[in-house]
Amino acid sequence: MRGRTVLYVEDNEYNRKIVRQLFSRTSYRLIEAIDGEAGVTLAREERPDLILMDVQLPKMSGLEATRVLKADARTSDIPVIVITSFALSGDREKAAEAGAASYLAKPYSPRELLALVRQYLPEPDNPSGGDK
Amino acid sequence: MRDARDSVESSVPNRSPTELREVELERLAALVQNRTPIRRLVRWVAGIRASVHTKLLAGFMVVALLFVAMAGVSLQTIVSATHQAQLLDAAHEQVSWAEQGEQALARQMHYTDLALLSQSEAAIAKILRENNRFNDMLAKLDASGMTEQGLLEQVRLSQDEAMGVVADIANAIRDGKIGAVTGLLLQRQEHLDEEITSRVGRLVEAERSRMTRLRDSVSAANRRSLILTAGFAVSAVALALFCGFVISWSFILPVRKAQRFLDQVAAGNFGRHISVANRDELGVLAERMNHMSDELHRFDSEQRRASSELVRLNDQLALASKAKSEFLANMSHELRTPMNAILGFTEMLLDGLYGDIPGELREPLADIQVNGRHLLHLINDVLDLSKIEAGRMDLALGEYSVREVVDVVHLSLRSLAAEKGLEFKTSVPDDLPPAYGDSRRLAQCLMNLAGNAIKFTRAGRVEIGVELAGDELVFRVADTGIGIPKEELENVFAEFRQVDTTVTREFGGTGLGLSITKKFVEMHGGRIWVESETGKGSTFLFAVPVWVKQEAA
Repeated sequence: MRGRTVLYVEDNEYNRKIVRQLFSRTSYRLIEAIDGEAGVTLAREERPDLILMDVQLPKMSGLEATRVLKADARTSDIPVIVITSFALSGDREKAAEAGAASYLAKPYSPRELLALVRQYLPEPDNPSGGDK
Repeated sequence: MRDARDSVESSVPNRSPTELREVELERLAALVQNRTPIRRLVRWVAGIRASVHTKLLAGFMVVALLFVAMAGVSLQTIVSATHQAQLLDAAHEQVSWAEQGEQALARQMHYTDLALLSQSEAAIAKILRENNRFNDMLAKLDASGMTEQGLLEQVRLSQDEAMGVVADIANAIRDGKIGAVTGLLLQRQEHLDEEITSRVGRLVEAERSRMTRLRDSVSAANRRSLILTAGFAVSAVALALFCGFVISWSFILPVRKAQRFLDQVAAGNFGRHISVANRDELGVLAERMNHMSDELHRFDSEQRRASSELVRLNDQLALASKAKSEFLANMSHELRTPMNAILGFTEMLLDGLYGDIPGELREPLADIQVNGRHLLHLINDVLDLSKIEAGRMDLALGEYSVREVVDVVHLSLRSLAAEKGLEFKTSVPDDLPPAYGDSRRLAQCLMNLAGNAIKFTRAGRVEIGVELAGDELVFRVADTGIGIPKEELENVFAEFRQVDTTVTREFGGTGLGLSITKKFVEMHGGRIWVESETGKGSTFLFAVPVWVKQEAA
């Protein structure tokens, strides 16, 4: 299981940069998509081990993309963490309904995000260049 | 009259016996109007341009006139009967005169025979006396205007002839030659006797039969007047009934129509018109009702227009409200996305992800982080309040542990209190039952109150306490801070209000925390209040039901 691959679907460049830089010190391989459709295509091609899915995305919403991935046999077993910036009650339920494994509210702390990723994809004892 | 019959039949059930009789009468009336042209007459009467008063008077007058006419006829009958009786009396007299004449004639003949036999002049005098009587009778008959003038004349001629014979007899007796002529005279006399007797007999007979005819005609006239009187009486009653029927139905029909019409109006069918044949007060009433119906229709359609306009506006409002919610959701996203980047980069910088940072940069970086978090807090508060006011904030109800809620708040504020050197305690009874509500929002409330308490307290202590009071939980946050002046106490829960602007400068804060807290408490069906004294500290309390009702949320 070399190079655990994480797919981050997010349209904001700076947020992708944060995660890119956060993951640069870890053993995870990060692949990125900037909209829901691209996210689904990339997930089918690359078969990542974990998907971080923003809710508010162009072309196809994160929840819709999650539903599509969960309905597809090739990608249905990949856990999806939904990241939402709507602090509306019911978002958690909508995420769970779409098939998300977990839910994270924006703005998230990079530390919290990494902790959540590690929960799903434990790193080997000696990650290359980890900050810990 | 189909309508009237319908209404009668439909109202048959649940009637008392008297009412049933009335119903029977009405059925009869309806039948009469259906089977005869009376209905047309009823309509015609209704259509007469006269008041109800006039029509009723006219109806009564018709009947009264009929009675007057009947009285006239009766009077005439009485007069004619009297006249007939007089005629009868006269006829009676004539008959009796004729009979007396007959008797006088008989006696005259008898005396004539006697004169011939006895040959005495005394008998002649008797003959003359009887002759006078007979002539008297004839004169009376003649004066009474009897009709058989020819017969009377013949009798008179025969009598003259008879008197000629008597004169001859008298002469013969005087001359003493009676013996020679007796046979001849007797023969003449007999012949004349027969002739006169038969003529007088015919006269008497004629008078008798005239009397009989008169009597017959009198009794016929009596019969006629009886029939006439009875006929008049019957037709007066019939006409009275007829007038009553026609006039009353000319009123009943429009009243029935009006009843049905008003039923329709009562059922909400406005704008219809009633049309009655009447051109009297009832016609005026119908016109008024039509006017009323029109006005009701106008009001009704205006009302309908207004209500559909309201529905449309309401739909627009709902759309606007939806647009506002969408705007809020979008704003939430648009604001949080850059905040995420700012806070994320700052945190990674401070965590040394980009390598060690120089000591002099650490403080400004921490300031960026604190202010960034404060900005995020502000954004959250503003969005929360907007959502509450737009009615888009829903409570996520569930069972929760009061102690856990208090502990979460205590845990997140502990370090802040410690930094200011404040004593920060909680007191939660052990025996609290499990509660039902939105624990996240209740924690937010406590967080706001306790955060404020720590913010506004320079020294001393802050305490969070909970008590069970009946079926309510009373949360209490007490501090030994600056307190709130009495005149400001009622404003503390208003939006964007702080005690004064210098406080804002020193202590910061959005001024939204308390109003959001108040809204959340109220959404739980609870209430919030404050006890405070300037310089000594404040105690904020809120009470919410232990078990929040579903519909309250």
